[in-house]
Amino acid sequence: MNDISQASASAFQLLISGNNDIWEIISLSFGVSFSAILIATPVALVIAFLLAFFQFPFRRALIALFNTFMSVPAVVIGLSLYLLLSRSGPLGDLRLLFTDKAMIIGQIMLSFPLLVAMAHASFQAADRRAWETAITLGATPARAFFTLMYEVRFGLIAAVVAGFGRVIAEIGCSMMVGGNILHSTRNIPTAIALETSKGEFAQGIALGMVLLVLSLSLNAGVSLFQGKGELQA
Amino acid sequence: MSHLIDYKNLVVTLSGKLILNIDSLSIPNHQCTLITGKNGSGKTTLFKVMSGLLKPDSASIHYQGLDMNWKQAKPYIQKDIIYLHQQPYLFDASVTYNIAYGLYRAGESKTAAHNKVMQALDWANLSHLAHRNAKQLSGGEKQRVALTRARILSPRLLLLDEPTASMDTDAKQQTSLLLQRLKEEGITIMISSHETHTVEHIADRHLHIDQGRITSLDHSHSEKVTVLNTSKYNN
Repeated sequence: MNDISQASASAFQLLISGNNDIWEIISLSFGVSFSAILIATPVALVIAFLLAFFQFPFRRALIALFNTFMSVPAVVIGLSLYLLLSRSGPLGDLRLLFTDKAMIIGQIMLSFPLLVAMAHASFQAADRRAWETAITLGATPARAFFTLMYEVRFGLIAAVVAGFGRVIAEIGCSMMVGGNILHSTRNIPTAIALETSKGEFAQGIALGMVLLVLSLSLNAGVSLFQGKGELQA
Repeated sequence: MSHLIDYKNLVVTLSGKLILNIDSLSIPNHQCTLITGKNGSGKTTLFKVMSGLLKPDSASIHYQGLDMNWKQAKPYIQKDIIYLHQQPYLFDASVTYNIAYGLYRAGESKTAAHNKVMQALDWANLSHLAHRNAKQLSGGEKQRVALTRARILSPRLLLLDEPTASMDTDAKQQTSLLLQRLKEEGITIMISSHETHTVEHIADRHLHIDQGRITSLDHSHSEKVTVLNTSKYNN
């Protein structure tokens, strides 16, 4: 128990003192995950909308596929991407393996099905009159799409937050395609795993605290936002 | 009598079921047409096709002197025809924003749109609701906001799906009054309604739709309402 208390106190000190290594890891983690979500979200929202509002061949198969990919373990995504990006793989010439770009690609692959599935559920539940009203009032389909997104914003924000939560905390894919290289591809989850295996609990706990605070902040933010919406409705 | 728009061979099937089968339907300019029919008779589907929201299996449209198919006519009819749902949808924003929505889409400046919205609210006696969230309004208020939102865009044809359904007497009267004023402004109106007594005083002619086919119930007008049905889908 004393060990845990001591490690926690050291963890606090590491964070407060602005330890370079720790903050570099935190910064890389957030940079990679934000980039992945920023790239994945617009495409995922458009696909989710098309799946919810239009009929086309293989639509149901696509929905089933995205729902299935939601639960694929991160390490499996990492393994697939590793095989593609390794020197002997089809994309080996791009020399992306063990770079932060590979980690971003991996996290896009991880978050994409979740974003599509959750956004699809939101669009599916949306009132179709919103789309028809926007169109009949002269909006272009693109403009009507933005109007509809605003109408279902709470569900879409929840989808983005869930997607971010999935990628910021994943370890399997980042470890496989990032390689956990200090000052280059080491992010919060891979650093926690490494430091814990070395018995350096303080750094692991410090990074764990960051994830915990992030998780609480995101949930509090979403709850506050949704609460405002309920009051307005 | 001049016609605003003519639809011919209008056929709609949904999931293999024939919903609409109209040989010819002409909408006279500046008149109000009342269309009645049972639930599921095809009124809403007809309005959605007429306003360009739903693609028919086939349709020939004569509009502004041009003969077009539905795809060619869609940009024109979506610009000039506004459809209002039975329970109009108002966006999750202020009444002012809702009324200005179409103006912004038409490229009006914020100031010009604001002035027009204020005038429109005054016209409809809705100024007191300007800053209220549209989702918080009563059914009657929502309907009047939706009518004002449509009027501000100066549509050539307004399609109103059961505009007085589920309203109390007072709300019905106020909505009916607004419809009368819209008609007096020269807007061509088509109303579907079960409650004919609340809108029949506005109507110049009366059509009936049954199982996707339209018949005229108009005995007071001398002009021939060109509503015919083919028999090729009758079985």
